[in-house]
Amino acid sequence: QDKAAQDGKGAQGRLQGLSLSGKDPIQIESDKLEVRESDSVAIFSGNVTVVQGPTLLKAGKMTVYYAKDGKENGGGSAATGSANIDRLEVDDKVYVKSNTQVATGDRGTFDMKSEVLVLSGKEVVLSEGSNVLVGCKLTVQMKSGEAQVDGCKKGSDAGNGRVMMSITPNSTSGAGQKK
Amino acid sequence: MTVDPAAHSAIATGHDLRAAFERARKHSLRVRFLKGALPLLAALMAVGFVGYSYFVTPASVAVVTDGSAYSDGKLVMANPKLEGFTKDSRPYKMTASRAVQDVKNEGIVQLEGIAAKLPIDKDNWAMVDAPHGTYDREKNTLDITSDMVITTADGMVAKLKSAFLDMASGGMKTNDPIDIETKGARITSDSMTILENGKVLVFENRVRMNIDPTRLKSGEDVSGGQDGVQ
Repeated sequence: QDKAAQDGKGAQGRLQGLSLSGKDPIQIESDKLEVRESDSVAIFSGNVTVVQGPTLLKAGKMTVYYAKDGKENGGGSAATGSANIDRLEVDDKVYVKSNTQVATGDRGTFDMKSEVLVLSGKEVVLSEGSNVLVGCKLTVQMKSGEAQVDGCKKGSDAGNGRVMMSITPNSTSGAGQKK
Repeated sequence: MTVDPAAHSAIATGHDLRAAFERARKHSLRVRFLKGALPLLAALMAVGFVGYSYFVTPASVAVVTDGSAYSDGKLVMANPKLEGFTKDSRPYKMTASRAVQDVKNEGIVQLEGIAAKLPIDKDNWAMVDAPHGTYDREKNTLDITSDMVITTADGMVAKLKSAFLDMASGGMKTNDPIDIETKGARITSDSMTILENGKVLVFENRVRMNIDPTRLKSGEDVSGGQDGVQ
């Protein structure tokens, strides 16, 4: 079983586009926002759109978890948005676009400290121009833009544990990952 | 038969005597009765008065004012001050430059130049400044139908077009656009509800939040808003 999982390890690829920088201003839009001070959480729901520099994220729902500071009264508060963000969770059809790369999936989490974006779901698609990578889990190191797509578990209906990748040889972008 | 007037009078006198005695007896009976009844009646009235005055005093919060004038059916109070405690026994205070109360409906007070101080949590509170509003004494609510500003001790400045404040439960609701600015983040939306003394905020309809991570991390104060609370 490990070998198969190893086998379906997925394509390593260099993705310059998908990177969230810590400096650029972020703009979030949604139909509704509920800030729960005591749980240090802010829940955006309904056509959530997040834009930061070249990166755009769309989802049905996004939950922002603020770091619970050790100190009793905490640095900032979720309501004022000045508390530092621990991690984001996005649900309900996630679409991430950054420059030339587009990734879609059912759910996603983004950990601010490690700056790792994980998209998962029955079918996670990462595409750049006409090159497509399909699997069940996409892990992107936002700092370096390095992405890894993992196949679905053996026997799951979505796939046979392998990653599907199709490359159009003379595709425009320079990245052109090779398996 | 002639009757001797003296004898007649004697009989009469005898007759009179008995009548007089009868009257005296009745009088003393009446006196004896009243001697018991009157004090009892007085006691009853006293108890009644105490009870009446206890129940009739309004439960709502007392309003302290500097001076008040009465003109054409309206009671006008100068800088009224009202203090009370929210459900979790934290103090709130509301002052105004003027309060106008219609004598026929004294539950409602029109306030002008409102400054209210509402507790948010242990070391944070909100100052509400509004040109005018309607305060309902029974429900202890304040309905503000004009532009207003809420500033909190931790540097949040909220500009609202209207607001309905429930002082006792520390809740607030507005169906008009809001614009909230804090250190490094700004939220705008078309409606907002605050529950549980500011613990839960719900923004709805066209919510937009801009976060400037650089100012967030360094936590500089909001350039525009006042520093702390005046």
